[in-house]
Amino acid sequence: MSAKKKTPVVTAKSKAKAVASKVVAKPEAKAPAKVVAKARKSVRPRASARPPAAVDEHEHASPTLAASLRDAELGAYEHEHEGEGDAELEEASVAEEIRALEARLDRLIVEAGGKGEEATATATAPRSLPTSSRDGDAEGTVFDTARELLSTDFYLRRWGRLGMRNRSEEVDDFGYDPVYDARVRPVFDFLFRRWFRVACDGIDRVPSSGRCLLVANHSGTVPYDGVMLKMAMLREHPSKRDVRWLAEDFVFHFPFLGSFTNRIGAVRACQENAERLLRQESLVAVFPEGVKGIGKLFRDRYKLQRFGRGGFVKLALRTRTPIVPVAIVGGEETNPLLFRLEAFSKVLGVPYVPITATFPALGPLGLLPAPTKWRIRFGEPISTEEYSAEAEGDELLVGRLSERVRASIQGMLEETLAKRESVFFG
Amino acid sequence: MASDSTLTKPRALPLRPGAAPRAPGRVVALTGASSFLGANLIGLLEEDDSIGRVVAIDAKAPSTAGKKTRVYEVDLAEPGSEARLAEIFAAEGADTLVHLAFLGSPTPATAWVHELESVGTMHALVAARQAGIRKLILRSQTLLYGAHPTNPNFLTEAHPLRASKEEPFFADKIEAEAEAARFAERTPGATVTILRTATVMGPTVKSFVTRYLSRRVVPTMMGFDPLLQFVHEVDAIAAFKLAVERDIPGIFNIVGDGVLPLSTVIKLAGRLALPVPHPIAETLTHLGWMAQLVEAPPSFLPYLRFLCVADGARARDVMGFRPAYTSREALLDFVSAQRLRDVKLLVESG
Repeated sequence: MSAKKKTPVVTAKSKAKAVASKVVAKPEAKAPAKVVAKARKSVRPRASARPPAAVDEHEHASPTLAASLRDAELGAYEHEHEGEGDAELEEASVAEEIRALEARLDRLIVEAGGKGEEATATATAPRSLPTSSRDGDAEGTVFDTARELLSTDFYLRRWGRLGMRNRSEEVDDFGYDPVYDARVRPVFDFLFRRWFRVACDGIDRVPSSGRCLLVANHSGTVPYDGVMLKMAMLREHPSKRDVRWLAEDFVFHFPFLGSFTNRIGAVRACQENAERLLRQESLVAVFPEGVKGIGKLFRDRYKLQRFGRGGFVKLALRTRTPIVPVAIVGGEETNPLLFRLEAFSKVLGVPYVPITATFPALGPLGLLPAPTKWRIRFGEPISTEEYSAEAEGDELLVGRLSERVRASIQGMLEETLAKRESVFFG
Repeated sequence: MASDSTLTKPRALPLRPGAAPRAPGRVVALTGASSFLGANLIGLLEEDDSIGRVVAIDAKAPSTAGKKTRVYEVDLAEPGSEARLAEIFAAEGADTLVHLAFLGSPTPATAWVHELESVGTMHALVAARQAGIRKLILRSQTLLYGAHPTNPNFLTEAHPLRASKEEPFFADKIEAEAEAARFAERTPGATVTILRTATVMGPTVKSFVTRYLSRRVVPTMMGFDPLLQFVHEVDAIAAFKLAVERDIPGIFNIVGDGVLPLSTVIKLAGRLALPVPHPIAETLTHLGWMAQLVEAPPSFLPYLRFLCVADGARARDVMGFRPAYTSREALLDFVSAQRLRDVKLLVESG
């Protein structure tokens, strides 16, 4: 607030300074004008505790520049040593004082320079553009102002510190930025409530505290399911728990998309990260289908792909985490994938180039999701408590549990699909 | 670059003769004593009563040398430094060697660096073995883990050092770590501590990272915003002091708590980011490096794209190292000093 208030004063001052240095022709007269500006700078910040009478005293002080300057500096000096005794002085009187000082400075500049009137005119209208009627001096002044506005310092200050308003100074260990997340949340709220109109079944099966692993089907060329799971927990679950979902390497290291999803809560999918998150008692969502899930063709929708080597089961066994199977219906129709073009994958650094009904025909717009109706179903939690910590080495058990989770998700998917009447209205 | 005639001079004598009486207590030898860590560590050891003497070894004398410190000018990059070091260690009765003779920033003089870091470490450690030194503390860096897209968010000490072997800055330091492992293997009963520090940040330290963040316009990789980690200079020095005090064999990551995205780091430093598309960044950096316009060769570019963050849990649990500053505080401390430097209110001496 204070910064905003100060800005015009500063511009006016620097403006006046620029005017003074340009307009004044004689070098000996130029110097004092500059010093006045400097002196005023030194007075201004300390003005808060100054009795208004002092201003009047200055007004009647010696007309010579040097004398008034000395006065001003003396006043400032006294003032510094007065302490904060009369700090309760009204803000209005301070503003008045500043205005009086400014008026005096203007007058001094006018006296010092030959072309006084023109100088004041420029000073009062600092943003006027140079016109053909102006003479060279005035144009120079404008260019001076322009140079100041265009100086890198100005923008460094603006974009450097001000750039922090949309982000917190500290992210969590995995790169989640709560301030940035709150900033972009309206967009995801819109997607959640209006665009996909997500309905949740059995969300109470997710525990309100403690570690838990959500295992879901992956879908949709551009994967929105991680974010929608997060929104579901925030908007529908009583505990409003945060979900950290694991993103595939190619999403996580995709320019812009990767760092963006990282700031809003995605974590690179690997055993170490997942284990660390679970040991911090967080809620982690995994998509065991991985890239194969994202790249499902439209005709294969809702057919679960292979679940890898059951890494998520080993993880759950090692950390004794309950598994909640999740079926997401609607996500697999947002960007119906017709072909996977794998010819340019090396060059572009993506596993395949998606060809959908609208992409790349409509350009980037073609990647916007279709407004399908989403339904997220949470299944019965599968406990891993009864197994010992060494059970992760038991390949039979891992395979069996993995298949159980897969069957549970596939079952829920088919059940929901059978009940669904329309892709867009549910 | 170093005193070329140190060997020909018959001067195994300390530069400050008679300064250090044979006080009881441990004798700590430091190589790279004039480096940032070395000079500050000498200052700390000088004040420690349990340390009888400090033997400072470098190509130039450290400014912090006090009463307890004896200074020897030895250039590790020179042949024959091994015999000379062994002589010094034996004469001083050194029991601990803190090996800090590593460059903090990449340099185009790669052949010399190889002699200093890789071969020099070998010389120093062979000399230490000859003189019967029981304890070795080696400085290493978490940068050596390498920035890879497959890195987990936190790298533990068990993770292999995967930094580019083609970059001498990394390769020589990885070789130095291997030398230290060999030393541990061949010297039964010796305590070998390797401290891998994250990027050291603070008001006085100078490195290619601080120079990078002191630029007005800081080049970044377009679309990438990796998490960075710092350790405050005070914490880094304290970690080495702790390693000198206690016998804690093993490898430890010395890092500050917390991470910061590169974009936030640049904004906190009040700089402007210049995003460069990564396909052309390699060429530009290569040209910039040849012209000495950028701080690091292209092999450092992955650090602007991918994660290289280490886990400090082992240092905390086993070593008892508690950093006083978080990554962010370390950065802000650097930034506040840098602001003064920017407006020439803070001028470094030397």
